[in-house]
Amino acid sequence: MKPFTYILPRSLPEAATAAARKGAQLKAAGIDLIDRMKERIETPSEVVNLLSLKGELSYIKSERDSGLRIGALTTLNDLELDAALGAAQFGALREAAGRTATPLVRNRATIVGNLLQVTRCWYLRSAAFGCLHGKKGPACLAMTGENRYHSVMGYFDCVRVHPSNLAPALLALDAEFTSQLGDRQSRRKLSELFPKEARAMLAEHTLLPGEIVTAIHVPAQPANARSAYRESREKLSFDWATTACAARIVVEGGKIRTATLVLGAVAPVPMPMPEAAKLLIGEAPSDELFQKVANAAYQSAVPLSQNVYKVQVGKAVVRETLHAITR
Amino acid sequence: MSNVEQPRPGEVELKVGFPGHYETRKFQVPEGDAPPWDANTKFTVVGSDEPRVDGVMKASGRAKYSYDVTFKGILYGMILRSPVARGKLTGLELDEARSMPGVAAVLALKELGNKVRFVGDEIAAVAAPTLDQCRDAIEKIRATYESEAHNVDFLSAEDGPLVDDSGEYTEPWAEDSGMEKALAESKVQLTGTYRTEVQTHSSLETHGAVAKWNGADLELWASTQATFGVRGEIAQAMQAAKVKCDSVTLHAEFVGGGFGSKFSGGAETRAVALLAHATQTPVKLMLDRFEEHTCTGNRPASLMHIRAGLSADGILTAWDWRSFGGCGHNGGGGGVAMPNHFLNTAKKRTTHKDIATDTDPARPMRAPGHPQGFFGAELFLDELAAKAGIDPLELRRKNDQQPIRQAQYTLGSETFGWQAGRNPKPGSPMPGDDARYLRGVGMATARWGTLGSHGGRTPHAALCRIHQDGGVETRNGAQDIGVGNKTMMAILTAEELGIPVANVKAVMGHTSDPSGPASGGSTTTPSIAPAVRLAAYQAKLELGKLAAKHLDISEDKITWAGGKIGADGKWLTFAEACKLIGPNPIEARGQRFPNYKGEPIENGVCGVQFAEVLVDTWTGLVKVTRMLALQDCGVVIAKKTAESQVLGAMIQGISYALYEQRLMDKRSGRMLNGDFLRYKVIGSIDMPPMQAILQTVFNGHSNTSAAGLGEPPSVAAPAAIANAVFNAIGVAVRHLPITPDKVLRALNQRGGN
Ligand SMILES: Cc1cc2nc3c(=O)[nH]c(=O)nc-3n(C[C@H](O)[C@H](O)[C@H](O)COP(=O)(O)OP(=O)(O)OC[C@H]3O[C@@H](n4cnc5c(N)ncnc54)[C@H](O)[C@@H]3O)c2cc1C
Repeated sequence: MKPFTYILPRSLPEAATAAARKGAQLKAAGIDLIDRMKERIETPSEVVNLLSLKGELSYIKSERDSGLRIGALTTLNDLELDAALGAAQFGALREAAGRTATPLVRNRATIVGNLLQVTRCWYLRSAAFGCLHGKKGPACLAMTGENRYHSVMGYFDCVRVHPSNLAPALLALDAEFTSQLGDRQSRRKLSELFPKEARAMLAEHTLLPGEIVTAIHVPAQPANARSAYRESREKLSFDWATTACAARIVVEGGKIRTATLVLGAVAPVPMPMPEAAKLLIGEAPSDELFQKVANAAYQSAVPLSQNVYKVQVGKAVVRETLHAITR
Repeated sequence: MSNVEQPRPGEVELKVGFPGHYETRKFQVPEGDAPPWDANTKFTVVGSDEPRVDGVMKASGRAKYSYDVTFKGILYGMILRSPVARGKLTGLELDEARSMPGVAAVLALKELGNKVRFVGDEIAAVAAPTLDQCRDAIEKIRATYESEAHNVDFLSAEDGPLVDDSGEYTEPWAEDSGMEKALAESKVQLTGTYRTEVQTHSSLETHGAVAKWNGADLELWASTQATFGVRGEIAQAMQAAKVKCDSVTLHAEFVGGGFGSKFSGGAETRAVALLAHATQTPVKLMLDRFEEHTCTGNRPASLMHIRAGLSADGILTAWDWRSFGGCGHNGGGGGVAMPNHFLNTAKKRTTHKDIATDTDPARPMRAPGHPQGFFGAELFLDELAAKAGIDPLELRRKNDQQPIRQAQYTLGSETFGWQAGRNPKPGSPMPGDDARYLRGVGMATARWGTLGSHGGRTPHAALCRIHQDGGVETRNGAQDIGVGNKTMMAILTAEELGIPVANVKAVMGHTSDPSGPASGGSTTTPSIAPAVRLAAYQAKLELGKLAAKHLDISEDKITWAGGKIGADGKWLTFAEACKLIGPNPIEARGQRFPNYKGEPIENGVCGVQFAEVLVDTWTGLVKVTRMLALQDCGVVIAKKTAESQVLGAMIQGISYALYEQRLMDKRSGRMLNGDFLRYKVIGSIDMPPMQAILQTVFNGHSNTSAAGLGEPPSVAAPAAIANAVFNAIGVAVRHLPITPDKVLRALNQRGGN
């Protein structure tokens, strides 16, 4: 690591002021950030440690409308174990948190840090390579290089993958986030946290410099909603998913009334699939239907030289997710 | 042990073999050796469930590895490595780095004009008070290179094997009319190409050392599997400083694994000695994980092309084998081993060629050449058996003449439930299973071959000291790289002296103690154990003499029974006898004699492993659901640590079969997954229930009959898993690791998914 000034803010406004300074970087648990700093692909002059606000920013509260308000520093372990997330409607979030990494990581990793972690692309995350997304090279190196874990859809000039487990789950639940920029607070749809067109030159997220996410909101879910999250892996721990899927469904009178479907780990941003989800509406759950939806979800896939398998695996994960909810 | 048997040099008859297969054979026991143990010997602690003697120290963090050694004011060392895969070093400017804050020394490790051989080749080294200052200084070294075109993929090498899109090797076979005839006369023939990828070394403790000069003497704490070899290597490297072996002391009291990669001190140990010399300050230089993956050797890739023929009664009659090793820049170390024990009467031909690539050279890795070769050969055998309609276990039984393995086939198939576990219709779900999952079981064999040695020109030895206060030491200067040698030494000494294991202190890893072997070829225990036992035996004779004098009975009447020493109703406890010792302890040396002349039961060890897998046909993920190993290691001395070796090898075998592979960026020649986040090593949740059954075999080659165990159990595991996958899905995945993409390709090829 390069030397840096370590700032322990005593209040959110203090953190916001510190974060707005040039060269400052926000740190939650630091699992992702410190890794990048050690590799020296990130060399902030100031690190603002949000964990000193843990008392204020770590909580899971049930709202009056039966939605959830989750503090930015809530750990994945808390998400997995909190009773408020035990309801079937929040299954996707609970499962996504519980399948991430290892217990050691989940004990520390925060919900917002997970959403904002930088892609695992091995070219981008190595100081030895210079690529377009890292702003050190003219082109995406994975596009024509080693790309077995990279994007199969939704990419333009950079085939990185958005690695967060929580992102597809929260998007499937129509989550929102509150952020603080200077002394201004705003609440937006979680989908707005990610760029619309995932170009190489754009960051993983749309936050402005110094903007702090303070809370995630999971709104009240439709009556009888159930959600689930599933993923494919090469091994069962200490690894990232090769494809992921989160979905929320309401079944009434044997027919699916509403449905959301979001793919993870297949594109530079988490991918909501409204068209595919629409195929579910008005239908009775069946394996045949789920396979049709899975095919539709991956219809636009254009795999790279080494990740054709992800399309087949990804479809299986969609199918499995839908079975898991309607079982 | 009861009576002190007197040494009986010369021809001795020993009861050798294993349960159900005992016989009496004659061996020549050298003069001065302890009376050899055999199947008639009644043991007290040998073979029992004694815990690892340093287990608590390790689990509690009190065991100090080289990585943990530190001194006030210690400096850190770091190496600048080549970013170029092939070329020449054309410029090296060190001055700016020297002027960086804190930097105490900067040294060139490569001369201008010299070749650069791979990404990671050593260029220069720095020492500074912190690792970050080292890194800052490294970034200020200006190295320039003239780079040449490189290649990091052996299949793309000019002299590499040509394969088609399906992965089949395409060169025609060299003419051999005898082979063609044998094949033509066989009933069933098969041809296939099998491949494995590079597995990098992943010892928990990385390579490196701490160096400290005390005047003209050098003290080293090194993570090594060859204390004496590395001491010599470093003395040689420091010749300019007038250093000889006598002024270098090396410590390796605890070593976090080696697996074959730590025989040489390497550039890092030479560099740390030089940096400490230049700065006259202790320096620590331990490699980071990326360096560990890219610069400390590996199990090279391989390609095997096999064709063979089976007679109508299931005997292998022709075996034609060509293999290639996908090696590093020195083009060596890629040899593959195959199960010759099945080829007793077959017409046989084998050729092998190592292919060089511009990468880190191969180093030995737990049973070099064996996991890859046995994977190819044993999966081929299962495919051949399937084609012939024979049970694969039956095929092995028919072609194997080794009685130890024959016993293992029987015990293994009963214990594991071979018949019930086999998928009768590969590719279809087993009764009761969800149609999404395919289950299958497979098995494979192992052989590994040596019984240790006395050390060649100069024999190994061990020291036993018995002190006045009852304290007992057993010492050897070789290293315990984590396998449990200290436990073995303590048990042997306790057995010989008739005292509890807890009363013995076993010390290893200091070059000031008697010499022992490098930990290679699974020879450490068989090489040291007889010397350890002899040292204890000699010390016991000395103590017996003191007791005899004290009790006023003749020496040859002295008996050891139930922890007491004496005869004729006159007895001393061990503690009382020790009080007869003066301030100088009894100090006895035991030397390792050459293996006895005579016919040992087996000149190595045998093993068989069984695996069951569950294949997810939707995602291609393979999960190993249970495993069984049957393994002989001569006489089992420390049962727990021995079982731990076998279980560890099975775990490593699953990891190699399903997850591990080095992934290279072809353009830059740089490894892409050189960390534990992307280089996939098995985690605890991926591990199945495993059982290890150890078979004690008295070979009759030394006073303890111990044979090796470190490597043999890693030979069969990957093959057994690959065979289980074949039994589950009905298609052989002929390329390790068996990752989901390959499983899906195989399933798609089978169709109907
Ligand atoms: C072995 C291993 C396996 C893993 N496997 C998975 C997996 O399977 N799935 C998965 O999803 N993840 C996985 N991860 C990643 C892990 O979940 C993330 O690294 C972790 O969640 C990041 O959280 P953090 O609190 O440490 O974030 P930090 O590292 O502290 O922060 C990450 C980024 O978010 C920014 N940030 C953090 N909080 C805020 C905030 N409140 N406002 C604005 N910006 C903020 C920081 O500036 C930084 O850029 C794995 C990690 C490891 C080490």
